Amino acid sequence: MSKSSFLGADTIALHSGYQPESDHGSRAVPIYQTTSYVFDSVDEASALFNVEQGGHIYSRITNPTVAVLEQRLAALEGGAGAICTASGMSALFVTFFSLCSAGDHIVSAAQIYGSTVTLLKHTLKRFNIDCTFVDINDQDALAGAIQDNTKLIFCESIGNPGLAVSNLPAIADTAHQQGIPVVVDATFATPYLNNPIQHGADVVVHSVTKWIGGHGVAVGGVVIDGGNFDWLKSGRFPTLTQPYEPFHGMNFWEEFGPAALAMRIRCESMRDIGAAMTPHNAFLLLQGLETLNLRMQQHVTNAQAMVAWLQQQDAVAWVNHPDINADAHTKTLFPKGAGSMLTFGVKGGRDAGAAFINALQLSSNLANVGDSRTLVLHPGSTTHSRLSETDLVAAGISADLIRVSVGIETVKDIQADFGLGLRAAAKVAMAQLAQTEA
Amino acid sequence: MYITVDNQNTFVATGGKPFNPNLPTVVLLHGSGTDHRGWALQARWFAFHGYSVFAPDMPAHSLSAGEALTSIEAMGAWLVRALDAAKVSNVHLIGHSQGFLVALEAAVLLSKRLLSVTAMATASAIPVNPALIETAQKDPALAAQMMLQWGFGNQHQYGASAVPGMQPIGIGQRIMANNPLAIDLAACNAYTAGSKRAQQLASEGCASCVILAAQDRMTPKKEGFKLAQDLGTHAQVIADTGHMLPMEAPKQSLSIMKTFIQTLEK
Repeated sequence: MSKSSFLGADTIALHSGYQPESDHGSRAVPIYQTTSYVFDSVDEASALFNVEQGGHIYSRITNPTVAVLEQRLAALEGGAGAICTASGMSALFVTFFSLCSAGDHIVSAAQIYGSTVTLLKHTLKRFNIDCTFVDINDQDALAGAIQDNTKLIFCESIGNPGLAVSNLPAIADTAHQQGIPVVVDATFATPYLNNPIQHGADVVVHSVTKWIGGHGVAVGGVVIDGGNFDWLKSGRFPTLTQPYEPFHGMNFWEEFGPAALAMRIRCESMRDIGAAMTPHNAFLLLQGLETLNLRMQQHVTNAQAMVAWLQQQDAVAWVNHPDINADAHTKTLFPKGAGSMLTFGVKGGRDAGAAFINALQLSSNLANVGDSRTLVLHPGSTTHSRLSETDLVAAGISADLIRVSVGIETVKDIQADFGLGLRAAAKVAMAQLAQTEA
Repeated sequence: MYITVDNQNTFVATGGKPFNPNLPTVVLLHGSGTDHRGWALQARWFAFHGYSVFAPDMPAHSLSAGEALTSIEAMGAWLVRALDAAKVSNVHLIGHSQGFLVALEAAVLLSKRLLSVTAMATASAIPVNPALIETAQKDPALAAQMMLQWGFGNQHQYGASAVPGMQPIGIGQRIMANNPLAIDLAACNAYTAGSKRAQQLASEGCASCVILAAQDRMTPKKEGFKLAQDLGTHAQVIADTGHMLPMEAPKQSLSIMKTFIQTLEK
């Protein structure tokens, strides 16, 4: 097993990457709210720009507060390095941008977040990067989709919103046999529930906006370089193994080895695209990260209670959570429970579902997940509304699907709130029935 | 760059600039199970400030082919052949841990081509616990973890990094787990000529520099002080760092290295 720290996860979340600074002894990580950093001399400035010395130049590239979050997340996931970005989507973009060039190809799980589908299917297509979508757990389909120009396999460890769990060891086996890395969006899992690198993933991406932050106050993303993939042996990655002219012909693989991808993202994407996380957001996200493990325990406990409760309600047509009739790989990958997202449908279809959401008082109807508060959404008319009917089916989204991000409130209060929603939904369903009978 | 040594493809990092054998050459030698990347930052500075850099991956390490060498003496002789293959004339030898033992052996062979030696986080002998060697034979990844847990100082155990966002422990673990760590450790353990070689260099008037780490638990600094005595010089100690000094304190170690070498050049 690859390790990046010998501390336990709870300790990493609180201490890694920062010890009280010498000037004032600040126990909390300070917010370095600055754009830039004074150089000791012209020589030092030159050394920093030429990667002869580590340090900070400009906060678009690196920032001390952001670096603490990066180092904590890399340590929690067991990676070689991490780059924080302005959002989860920008984390995905800089990853694809760093590994692919025009003419390249990606194989992606079909069941993924709607905006990621759009990025892979439409936005990258404009730059002549194609994507084939497959059932990621169908190994024959996955192997068959790989082309000579395929640069990566992409999946979410728990798909959004279908909640299928990717069989990471099997996916990694198929990918690695052909010299291709596996990029995993692990947002729904968090480092508390599953560490994809330990199961064969090569790059891990999170929207840290979600459970890692947990408070719903800051947007951010991270790319974690697993450091285990041999980019040279693969022979598919000139961006990492050939000289890079803007840095005097730097060869990232030769110079940085296990951290080659992270350093390429740092040197190129952060400079040219500039999707940097702000220091204040990094500070806010660090506050969330400190209690991630405790919150995730409560999230999972509440989700399990809600699944059991919903399954007993007459107004509910179906309930989906990865732990229901879990596959063997789900049990192996998620021994603490497969997250706090669930989906369900109410009898009466989309209209009854809308009535359910509109009747809620405690839970919030909004386009986010992973807040400490319970959140609900109808993906078919919001996050995934830009997908075609075919794509919706492939993504596991039915018209009546209601997505729930179970929060950490007292669970009986969530149940009481959902009770209000289900009564409203039942009225709609009954009215539909009466209309049909009339 | 890649050169051929003993008919084997050998990688030599040059600090990001084309290698020029006519410049004074700074040779950077890695420790057990590691590779040239431990010197990434220092190498770039020398390469862009009037020196050529020659930082090889020893045979069977990371980017270099061939069979792993089983003795420090063989490694020292190999280094000289590698320098010859690259047509290097005058060299400053800098070695970390095992790398300095290799430097000691090469130094004696290089004779007048040698300009100086710099020892970093090392000693004239590096005895290795047989249990660690056995673990490295059976499970290199586990042995690498044991060494890194022991090797990095307190700050790095708490996630400090000279390069923002990077995890030196994670990087080191990946490199060491894939290199012939057990063979390197056995070679260190068997090597006993270090003190004699160091005294020989001192008697010949070789300029030397010793840089030690305050929290070094693998080659404790008291052993480093003895080495400095053998070399006829004083040791400089960098605070708050462990045995993985080149990665833990690249800026501080470079400052001492370049001051030493630049003084000699003057």
